[in-house]
Amino acid sequence: MIQTSTGLVGNSFKLGYRFQRYWDTSMAIAFFSAEVGTGLFLVSFYFDLLSGMILGLAITGTLKPYFHLAHMGVPGRSWRAILRPDRSWISRGAISIGLLIGFGVLHVVNRSFGLEATLGLPAALGQAIAYLAVAGALVVMCYQGMAMSDSEAFTLWASPLVPVASFCYALTAGALAALAVGWGVLSEGQRATLSTLALTMLLVDLAVVVAILLRAKGKSKGGAFSVDLLVRGEYAASFRNLVVILGLVLPAALLAVAGSLRLVELFALLAMLVGFFFFRMLMFKAAVFEPITHDLAGSFGLPSAR
Amino acid sequence: MAKLGMVFDLKACIGCNACVVACKQENSVPDGVFFTRTLSHEYGEYPGVKRVYIPTICNQCEDAPCEKVCPSGATYTRADGIVMVDDQKCIGCSSCAVACPYDMRTMLTKDALTTGLFGTGELTPFEQQGYGRYTAGTAVKCDFCSERVDAGLNPACVVTCPTNARIFGDLDDPNSAPSVLIRERNGRQPLPEKNTKPKVYYVD
Repeated sequence: MIQTSTGLVGNSFKLGYRFQRYWDTSMAIAFFSAEVGTGLFLVSFYFDLLSGMILGLAITGTLKPYFHLAHMGVPGRSWRAILRPDRSWISRGAISIGLLIGFGVLHVVNRSFGLEATLGLPAALGQAIAYLAVAGALVVMCYQGMAMSDSEAFTLWASPLVPVASFCYALTAGALAALAVGWGVLSEGQRATLSTLALTMLLVDLAVVVAILLRAKGKSKGGAFSVDLLVRGEYAASFRNLVVILGLVLPAALLAVAGSLRLVELFALLAMLVGFFFFRMLMFKAAVFEPITHDLAGSFGLPSAR
Repeated sequence: MAKLGMVFDLKACIGCNACVVACKQENSVPDGVFFTRTLSHEYGEYPGVKRVYIPTICNQCEDAPCEKVCPSGATYTRADGIVMVDDQKCIGCSSCAVACPYDMRTMLTKDALTTGLFGTGELTPFEQQGYGRYTAGTAVKCDFCSERVDAGLNPACVVTCPTNARIFGDLDDPNSAPSVLIRERNGRQPLPEKNTKPKVYYVD
């Protein structure tokens, strides 16, 4: 049996796979910057690294909203995005970003100027502010992955591992960025801990990426089609060279071999960020809508979903 | 209240695309945007090659993923089961478009409303009178011609179909034409594994 129309069909009137084309580069930059910035904030918070917290908040508070608004069709109504936290991860994420930025800035101000002592506020208030900022950060690190995995349209995305990847990549970027930002500020012990965390997370990232592909491949033909695009097809070179080798294997090798050198740490950070960005881009690009008529298979020879 | 749905008779569809044109005409759908399509698929080996036509449309899902993910409340379901988009509430985030497994939503760009059908930047009188219903940047989709339905009429694609391949009616009424077809000819929903409970069925 020859199937002549089961490949990619673009926007045509043919039956077949159609690329996801709604979330594009600006959304990838928005996702990327939110995860990098929040990861840096969270790791810096743990190590009480003020410059890292400020930079993390700045990245999340500027690049993320800018590129998200650039993507929106009607940015003037963007405030409406917070209206349905009961059902939408976009709403939950928007509220969490507000929580992170609001309480994060308050925490940084408190840490910098000692507001508690100056204004005579109870110490518990400062702690509450810090914990609310961390709670916001934890949601921001995951919610974009949750928004993707919530979509049953794309098998590549519809996996509980996608938010895990968001969190892990954010933590990896945060650890590596904190190493770079905290040069001369962090103690040797803290640097060693961060280096170990970054190395461990790079390996975890690799495992999660492989698991996402394996799960998608086994779940449906559309998932297998997406994986083929990443492993053998159109995006294979970018995925292999940029996401896997440059973004994960190289920084891990550099940290394992010569992790204490600043130049090496900076290069590892840069390589990881490039790989992370391309991971975001390719997850968008390789997602495909399945042909809508799988269940009609058999009656006139269409391929079945599984 | 009714549960409005549609049945596509694949044996009757001849792929003439009159439904597509009728939809464009009724809803002033801009260039490059389609609320309904008639997909074609060829299969088999020479000399036994066959072509089948598969009409597609928004499935007005009972468990609509587009509605669940909408952060602004712009997507909602009417009492009669038609899934609607309020373009005055839509923020154009595209969440609904990536949530729909059937790729039946379109983000309406500003260009779509200004370029014109002939690509000259000038709108024809038809476009001028019709584009007022749209807001650039928002999500658009088929709503079973809700204005016609409210007036007691069938959707434009159903009325136009020369072979009666599109059958519209109340799925809650066991005696309605679509209910009978679904029952007697084993109607099947598209991508049932997505658990969206489409109100569009296919019979062959």
